[in-house]
Amino acid sequence: MTAHPTNPVWLLACGNADRRDDGAALAATQGLGATQCGQLEIDHLLAAPAGVPIVICDATVGVTPGSVVTLTFDELLNNPRGPAPHSSHALPIDQVIGVARALSANPIDGLFVGIGGVDFGFGRGLSPAVEAALPDFRAAIESQV
Amino acid sequence: MTHGMPHAPEAVERQFDVGQLTRVEGEGSLTLRVRDGAVVEAHLGIFEAPRYFERLIVGREPDEVIDIVARICGICPVAYQMSAVHAFEALFGVQIDPQIRALRRLFYCGEWIESHALHIYLLHAPDFLGYPSAIELARDHRAVVERALTMKRTGNALVAKLGARPIHPLTVRVGGFSRVPTRDELLALRPALDEALATAQATVDFVTGLTAPEFVREPRLVSLRHPDEYPMNEGRIVSNDGLDIPLGSWREAFAEDQVAWSNALQARTHAGEVYLLGPSSRVTLNAARLHPLAAEALARTGLAEQIRVNPYWSIAARAVELVHATAEAIDIIDAYQRPDRAFTPWQPRAGSAGWATEAPRGLLFHHYEIDERGLVAHAQIVPPTSQNQAAIEADLTTFAPSVLALPQAEATLRLEQLIRSYDPCISCATHFLDLRIEPADR
Repeated sequence: MTAHPTNPVWLLACGNADRRDDGAALAATQGLGATQCGQLEIDHLLAAPAGVPIVICDATVGVTPGSVVTLTFDELLNNPRGPAPHSSHALPIDQVIGVARALSANPIDGLFVGIGGVDFGFGRGLSPAVEAALPDFRAAIESQV
Repeated sequence: MTHGMPHAPEAVERQFDVGQLTRVEGEGSLTLRVRDGAVVEAHLGIFEAPRYFERLIVGREPDEVIDIVARICGICPVAYQMSAVHAFEALFGVQIDPQIRALRRLFYCGEWIESHALHIYLLHAPDFLGYPSAIELARDHRAVVERALTMKRTGNALVAKLGARPIHPLTVRVGGFSRVPTRDELLALRPALDEALATAQATVDFVTGLTAPEFVREPRLVSLRHPDEYPMNEGRIVSNDGLDIPLGSWREAFAEDQVAWSNALQARTHAGEVYLLGPSSRVTLNAARLHPLAAEALARTGLAEQIRVNPYWSIAARAVELVHATAEAIDIIDAYQRPDRAFTPWQPRAGSAGWATEAPRGLLFHHYEIDERGLVAHAQIVPPTSQNQAAIEADLTTFAPSVLALPQAEATLRLEQLIRSYDPCISCATHFLDLRIEPADR
C-alpha cells in the first residue's frame, strides 16, 4: 500500500465491485489514486503516512439510497449506530478507527465519505439511485483530496 | 446496543432486550422473558436479511459454486469452499494428490488463525477484562491487541498465499487448486509462523489467566473426528453421546427447522435435541488428536473440563486451536513438495453428495444434487451458527436465573457476553432461507 504522490490525503476506497452498490466507492474514486482496500482493516489505517489525513470512502447503510454523507472520525466514534459501511463481517468502522487510534504513534484522523446504497446483491453495476448520485459522491470525495 | 426497561411489576416478569448484539458477526438480537424467576422465553433473534445463496447456485457448475459460496462469509470463506469442493469430489470420485490434501489443511489453518485471533482478542477478551469494546482494551493493553493483529496478519497471509487474496479466495477448484505455491513461496511464511506460534502459546497463557463466570451445563457436543489427525476436512460426525456417522450423512441425524423469530433456520437432532458445535466441541472430542504442542498447551491450562461444561471457556479452546493451527501449518510447510499438477482432472456425473468440514465456528454441512448436465439442481448449506442457535437459547435459559438479582443493565450485559462466547456468525446463518415465488393467481 503506497500513498499516491499527488494526494495530500490517505484515500481508502472500500467495497466490492461484484456486489452492486458496494462497488460505489471504487467507481467514484477512479483516477484519484485511492488505495482499494476491500474490507477496511485496522492495518489500512495504521499504514497511513504520519501527518496525512485519511479519507475513507464506502457505500453505507442507514441513509437514503443515493444520498452522500461526510462524517468526521469523531462523529463516527460518537455515533456507532449511525451511517456505516455495509459490512457485517468484521469490526465495525468505529472500532476499527478507535483501535487504530489507540495503537498508532501518529494521529489517526480524517473523514468518512459515504453514499447510501440499496442493492448489495451479486453482480456488477450500481442501482439507479446510486448511479445517479455518483457524480455528487465523487465531488464530495474530490473536495477532500 | 439498547437495553429495555423491566416490565412492571418487576417481581412478576422481567424482559431483557438487546436490540442489536455487538461484537458478533452480523445483525442479531436477544429477547429473554422471565416470570417469577424462571425463563419463559429465550429468543436469539436473527433479523439480518436472508441472502438466498442456496438458490443463487442452482444451475451453476461446481467450480462456479465454489467461488460463490466463498462469498457467504468474509471470515470463514475457506470453510465454505472446503465443504463444497469435498462434496463435489465425493460425488465425482475425484482422488486428490496427498500434497493437495496437505495444502487444503494449510488453507484451513490460515482461516482458523485469523478467525480465532479476531474473536479471542478483539471480540471476546473485552468481556473478560471489563471493557465495552476493543477500543478501550487497546488503550490499556496495547500489546494484547497488537498480538491479535500480528496473528491475524499471519493467518491472512496464509490464506492469501494459497487463495490469491485473504478474503473470498479464488483458487480452490474441484480436484485441487488453480495454482499451487512453490516450496520457496511457502517457506517465506515460516518466520511469521514461528512468531505466530510463540504468540499462540502466549495467547494460551493469557486466556488461562482470565476469570470466567461460573456456569456449568452438560451439553451435547458434536464435531468431526478423524482417526489420525485433528479434524478439518475429513473423518466422521461424532458426538459425546455416541453418534458416529459418515460425513455425508448429516441429514440422518439432524434436521433444520424455521422458527418465527429468526431469519436463520435452526437445527436439532431428529429427536428435537439441541447440540453444540465449535472449538469447545472439537477440543473435547479430539483432545488426543491435537498437535503435541497444542496438547501440551491444553494440559497447561488445566481447563479441559471447563471447556466442556462452561461456554465462557470456549476462549481457551480457541487459544489451544491457535497453537494447533500454527504448529500444524509449520509442519505442513516443512514437509511440502510441490505436486506435479495443481489439480486432478475430473468429469461431472449426476447424483447427490454431502460433506462436512470444520469451520472455525464448527461443523459446516453442504449437500448438492447435480443434474445430467453437471449443474447444481439443489443445494443445502447448514452453517455452524444456525446449528448452534438452539443450544445458545437453551444455555441462556439455564444461565439467566443466575443474573436476575443484578441490575437490569448488568444482567443484560452478562447475557450478551454469554452469546459472544459462541462466536456466532449471523451473516453466515441467514443465507439459506428458502425463497418461494408462487404465481399471483394461486
